[in-house]
Amino acid sequence: MRYHTRAVTVIFPLVVACALFLMVGSVCGQTSSGESKSAQKFSASSIQIEPTDAGDVPVPAEFRMAVYENLITQIEKTGKFQHVYRSGDKDAASAPDLVTLHTTAKSFTKGSQKKREVTTVSGSTSLILAVHITDHAGQTLVDRDVQGKVRFLGENLRATYDFSKKVANIVRESF
Amino acid sequence: MSMDDKVNLSVATNCCRGARALGAFFLVVGASLMFFSAPARGQAAPSVVQSDVKLVIGGDTIKNNSVGTLSVVGSSLQFASAKKKMEVEASSILDISTNEDSRQNITGAAHFATMAIPYGGGRVLALFSHKVDVLTTEFKDANGGYHGAVFVLPQGQAAPFKKQLVGMGAKASVPLAEPAPANK
Repeated sequence: MRYHTRAVTVIFPLVVACALFLMVGSVCGQTSSGESKSAQKFSASSIQIEPTDAGDVPVPAEFRMAVYENLITQIEKTGKFQHVYRSGDKDAASAPDLVTLHTTAKSFTKGSQKKREVTTVSGSTSLILAVHITDHAGQTLVDRDVQGKVRFLGENLRATYDFSKKVANIVRESF
Repeated sequence: MSMDDKVNLSVATNCCRGARALGAFFLVVGASLMFFSAPARGQAAPSVVQSDVKLVIGGDTIKNNSVGTLSVVGSSLQFASAKKKMEVEASSILDISTNEDSRQNITGAAHFATMAIPYGGGRVLALFSHKVDVLTTEFKDANGGYHGAVFVLPQGQAAPFKKQLVGMGAKASVPLAEPAPANK
């Protein structure tokens, strides 16, 4: 009888734990599959990249330009669009299903390459920009905040490359 | 003198006048070309030149981080690397700005080699850096497309470029800082 009681006291919590684990796992699985379903794929043959709007955030000009130029290079590399137009390009007006990529600065921290390499724990450069992709009618297709950073090695401007690579991945997922 | 001779003489006189007029025309055109070509040759000589400039990003056909010579030739900003050249007309520059930054003295493959130095020796070497000027230009191409280019120059060398280009019609959102008057 004692053995029976012990077995119940040991096995019962284990069974409950397993059941809880399975329940949590199934719920997580459902939400992740739900998210993948909601990640809608859009279709467009051309994209126009607008320069970064710094707003009230003091982003130096070289960072804004590096973000813009890196975005053009990285989005061209995705191969998702027949044409990648620069802002103001007259040819973009005749593109039938043009989408536009806007970036707005949300925060910027300029680090120091020297600090990074000497201490490895401080001096990181980080920028967070809101990324909006809108269609021809101005309807938002993608709205995400993306962070670009350089933590250990490399010059400060490398944060803009990191940012553009992440945006290119979002474009790959969305188109 | 017969009637035929008179006709021939008048034809000959007309021919001489025509030749003289043609000669005068060529003389005027030649002289004007000579006078106008002289200052044009003077403009073609670069007014501001800086070697060992790094084009960090924005050279359409030139690779990022190429090193070359930056100059103001005629009314345009020109960057020439070993193989290629880019040119931006001053009037097409929408904004030009200068900034200061610092760069490590040891870069590239040598930089990675320093990581192998034991007892944190590589970190000590990372302390050695030098100040640089960053020149950023925003401009549009012939089709209206917006571009940006970032150059890294030795310290104190970006301002003369900005001054020269602004004088030629380039726009700058931040005006050039006037040098402070020397205290007597």
